[in-house]
Amino acid sequence: MQDGRGRIVAWLGREILPHEADVRAWLRRSLAAAGDADDVIQEAYCRLANLASIDHIENPRAYFFQAARSVALEQIRRARVVRIETVTQIDALNVELDEPSPERIAGGRRELARVQRLIAALPERCRRIFEMRKIEGLPQREIARRMGVTEHVVENESVRGLRAILAALAEGETNQDAVPRRSSSHDRTRKRR
Amino acid sequence: MIERESAADIEAQAVRWVVRADQGELTLAERTELDAWLTGDPRRQGAHARAEAAWLMLDRAKALGGAPAERSLSERGRMGRRRLLAGLGVAAAACAAIVIAPRLLSARYGTALGEIRRVPLSDGSMAAINTDTVLDVTMRPRLRQVKLDKGEAWFQVAKDPQRPFVVESGPVRVRAVGTAFSVRRREGGCDVLVTEGVVEAWSQDVGGAPRRVGAGERIFVSDEVGPANPAVAPIDITRNLAWREGQIVLDGEAFATAAAEFNRYNARKIVIADDSMADEKLVGWFRTNEPESFARAAASSFGGKVTVRGDVILVEAGE
Repeated sequence: MQDGRGRIVAWLGREILPHEADVRAWLRRSLAAAGDADDVIQEAYCRLANLASIDHIENPRAYFFQAARSVALEQIRRARVVRIETVTQIDALNVELDEPSPERIAGGRRELARVQRLIAALPERCRRIFEMRKIEGLPQREIARRMGVTEHVVENESVRGLRAILAALAEGETNQDAVPRRSSSHDRTRKRR
Repeated sequence: MIERESAADIEAQAVRWVVRADQGELTLAERTELDAWLTGDPRRQGAHARAEAAWLMLDRAKALGGAPAERSLSERGRMGRRRLLAGLGVAAAACAAIVIAPRLLSARYGTALGEIRRVPLSDGSMAAINTDTVLDVTMRPRLRQVKLDKGEAWFQVAKDPQRPFVVESGPVRVRAVGTAFSVRRREGGCDVLVTEGVVEAWSQDVGGAPRRVGAGERIFVSDEVGPANPAVAPIDITRNLAWREGQIVLDGEAFATAAAEFNRYNARKIVIADDSMADEKLVGWFRTNEPESFARAAASSFGGKVTVRGDVILVEAGE
């Protein structure tokens, strides 16, 4: 069980997280309230994390889109009052999912560069902690000792840093090296607001 | 539903757990606490898995073997933009403040078909005036008098115990001191919906004490019979006041009732050709000025068809 969990978490980080910004962008275009997208993403991760097996998933990106879509549809159906936009929303959620282009599939080197950039973009103290923890592999206690701060400070800074990294992943901060987003279909759906 | 934990709060907690687990094996007590937390909401499980995944992914950095990474410049541009957006929010909030000088005034406010206006009154109160309404407001030294001959309006009344705020509609009277409520003129009486505080409602043509109506209650005051019993219906009231945002919210209303509601706002009238459809129940959230998209959404939900001819949106049963 613990073993399976570790495997799935690693898979999430490798195959799912890199596509999160695209899934979010798509949700934001389709759903009326931006806040809803955060809920949908969390529930989608819940479904993925609880998968009994990931071996049958050939296209994790498409699978992620599907999971988010099904969570979103469920939320729309659950809502007691449905906005007129909902009809459009359900249509938008049906938009054919784009296939991952080869450039988008993160190769090992690309992945490493991305991790490097994520850490480099952290505020000074966070960045030092993440470098010691993740590059040099020092435990949190040792980091606290070297920096002359309490473990609690290291914990707080780590929380701060990891949240910043999650936010960067959500925004697609690291997609700058990916292929330019396909603009034609995006512009068509961006009529709201 | 309103108390629902925000995604951001969940994320903060989830991240905290991941960092704590990284300090060493969680104690049994911590483990139990985490499990209890996770069971509470599937979003928590998702947020936790996501945070774990990101944390683990960062282990790839070990391959860097200590080579310090250079700072990304694009990050600065992003931060700048985010600050700018936050700044705009503050500016917009500041614009919402309105300054009014108290004065004795008489004024008439009218709305055309489909028009919805918000007007500040000279006493500091605010009126939202719905479609096709005439409102005469007179500020007297001991009375704030509002005449509503037809239509509907919602009032956010500035507190002034010396000067009650009275809405007059035919013989119906609704009195408030500092509160928020709406009055809608209907055939033979008025609908009164109270959103804050307490109002007193009565009909001048009938004897008897005024009826007190509290926040979250609605009442029909008949011209000839006077007030009915108030009904407690806070959700209903919010729904019924959606017109202030230019919306109509339906929750199981009959198609005919809903169509009549849209027809209040638009010159293009929805006409239901077949009685068989009139009782179909509808749920939805629509814009008052989009009768056609409403008609189409409704028709498609029970297999009718819509034809638009001039000012008529005709809904017929499908074949």
